[in-house]
Amino acid sequence: MAVLEVKDLHVEVVDQEKKISKEILKGVNLTVKTGEIHAIMGPNGTGKSTLSETIMGNPRYHVTSGQILLNGENIVGMPVDERARKGLFLAMQYPAEVPGVTNTEFLRAAINARRPKDNPVPIREFLQELDKNMDLLDMKQSMTERYLNEGFSGGEKKRNEILQMLMIKPSFGILDEIDSGLDIDALRVVARGVNAMRGDNFGALMITHYQRLLDYIVPDVVHVMMGGKVVKDGGPDLAKKLEDEGYAGLRDELGLDIELVDEN
Amino acid sequence: MVNTEVDFWEKRRQAALAAYETGKLPYIQRFHYQDWTLFDETQPLASDSGLLDQALLKTDPQQIKIVQFGKSTILIQVPEKLLQAGLIVCDLKTALKEHPDLIEKYYMTQVIKPDENKLLSYHAAFCEAGLVIYVPAKMELAEPIEVELVGDATRKQPWLHHLLLIAGANSSLKFVQHLSTIGEQPQIANLVAEVVAGPNSHIEFSSLDEVGKNTTLYFNRRANLDADSHLEWNCAFMNDADSIGDVCSELVGQGSYGYSKAIAVTAGDEQMAVNNLVINRGRHTTGLINQRGVLLDNSKLIFNGIGQIVHGASGSKADQKNRVLMMSDNAHGDANPLLLIDENDVVAAHAASVGPVDPVQMNYLMSRGIPYPKAERMVIHGFLDAVLSGMPKGMVRDRMLTILERKLIHGQRQRFSEV
Ligand SMILES: Nc1ncnc2c1ncn2[C@@H]1O[C@H](COP(=O)(O)OP(=O)(O)O)[C@@H](O)[C@H]1O
Ligand SMILES: [Mg+2]
Repeated sequence: MAVLEVKDLHVEVVDQEKKISKEILKGVNLTVKTGEIHAIMGPNGTGKSTLSETIMGNPRYHVTSGQILLNGENIVGMPVDERARKGLFLAMQYPAEVPGVTNTEFLRAAINARRPKDNPVPIREFLQELDKNMDLLDMKQSMTERYLNEGFSGGEKKRNEILQMLMIKPSFGILDEIDSGLDIDALRVVARGVNAMRGDNFGALMITHYQRLLDYIVPDVVHVMMGGKVVKDGGPDLAKKLEDEGYAGLRDELGLDIELVDEN
Repeated sequence: MVNTEVDFWEKRRQAALAAYETGKLPYIQRFHYQDWTLFDETQPLASDSGLLDQALLKTDPQQIKIVQFGKSTILIQVPEKLLQAGLIVCDLKTALKEHPDLIEKYYMTQVIKPDENKLLSYHAAFCEAGLVIYVPAKMELAEPIEVELVGDATRKQPWLHHLLLIAGANSSLKFVQHLSTIGEQPQIANLVAEVVAGPNSHIEFSSLDEVGKNTTLYFNRRANLDADSHLEWNCAFMNDADSIGDVCSELVGQGSYGYSKAIAVTAGDEQMAVNNLVINRGRHTTGLINQRGVLLDNSKLIFNGIGQIVHGASGSKADQKNRVLMMSDNAHGDANPLLLIDENDVVAAHAASVGPVDPVQMNYLMSRGIPYPKAERMVIHGFLDAVLSGMPKGMVRDRMLTILERKLIHGQRQRFSEV
């Protein structure tokens, strides 16, 4: 069993325009084990993407205090590629486009990065696995030779993130708003992909704004984030309650002094 | 040349010699090369084909393939069927004997002129080696014409070569050349290519330049485009040599289209300057430039993109993109777009950028476990793809990818402990 722990995490980003840094995460605590699916819900602008990018190791986010432990090892300061090879995966809210690099080429490089230099994945084995996973996600064969995310629709990008996760088989998948911009059919397909990963060797941290996703991927634990902190933990019921009462309702119930970007 | 029957030839060479003596070096914006050695008046000797990598000589009978080494022609293979249909492929010496009319009409008379600058006068006065290709009207070549041009630097001697490529009306062809050198002796190279694109012809001209370190290279590639013709340049400058040169499309005929794509990877102490020019002369012509450079180590690269729309070329379009990636703090690079517009009814645009690899792309690739150096090479490959993908599949393209990977890895070894 693998464990991912976030302890009292404080994170700052430097605002590119104003050239000042501001604190986004103000002491996040969280523990995820393989075999578990966690959901993080929270209003816009509360720091959900900041949390996922920071766990993954995007150099734009600066940890000012606290720890991120993967199986007991503090990975703060570890480069993003090393964290990935240790079993972390982030399905990004806004995946980058890389013209000139095909999807297949990229996936093979990612898989081979986890293998000894002199033992790359056999092409046949790779292609079989790729076919299987693309079928699962209802993806067209032509996607393999297209340039990475270039000109992909929102839905295609999300599927492509899940495809990568299925191919790479990480211990922990962090899924940042994998549901945003998807219609119900696409959402079902994406959920099918994530559910296929479910099992003793996989844990997930699903970030979402809406409860809807959780009907398709039922979480074991739900965390609510507001104002850069986890303010409440619960089961799937908590998500339903939020859907009914809204974030403002929960905030008032908890007596928190937080301004929501878009009150809903 | 030895052939005394060809009167005009001797006369022209004498005139060129006079022009050479008084001529001036061409001006290249933001680049100093005036102290380079660019002339060598000695006579090159014949080269021994035994020195060549024998893989270069491999052909299949369907292929059009030419191998020239120094001033010597080693191989010319053309399917018999095409010869019968009027295709001409021969070296310059043979062309002077068998097709003097072609030489008299086209050789440095229409596209490039000997008195434009000292380097071209020198070329006209001294060059004896070359290749002449004439594709008759309506001929459509299914397979690319593959040309290996190898400089012989096993002795100190100049490498001069002239390519004359004439595409008749409504013809279509792909041309792929690979420039390389053998030997380590200091050498000057002066390589000129003239392309005559007949009405409604379609030409894709690709070149992989892999000229060795101790050579100093001047090149000039220029095409005149007749009405409704279409020409694409795909130039991959992967030299170790210091080099200067021009790639130019003269859009003379109405409705002609020229797209000039170029990439350069410079490394070590290498210096390179390219003028990539597209000149809209005819009405409704389209001239596009897309140049991308990658600078490693202490190298210097200047990409001048020059788009000119002359008066009268109404309804024309000029667009250019120049991008340079700086992979080292010690490298010096510049991407200079220049638009010279003398006509109102046109569409023109340009873009230029100089910078490091995109950190967002890097983070994305690395977030999948790909180590920094590999991710960087992938991003650079992707960056150069605009041109790489234009080269026809085959030996030259494979060679290009191999050299690119080698250059990038070599450059990375200077910066990272593990590559
Ligand atoms: N890279 C960044 N540069 C500057 N500000 C950022 C950056 N990333 C996030 N922020 C700011 O941090 C806050 C939280 O953003 P984010 O983590 O994206 O929230 P969420 O994902 O919950 O909507 C917002 O105010 C946002 O503007
Ligand atoms: Mg977000």
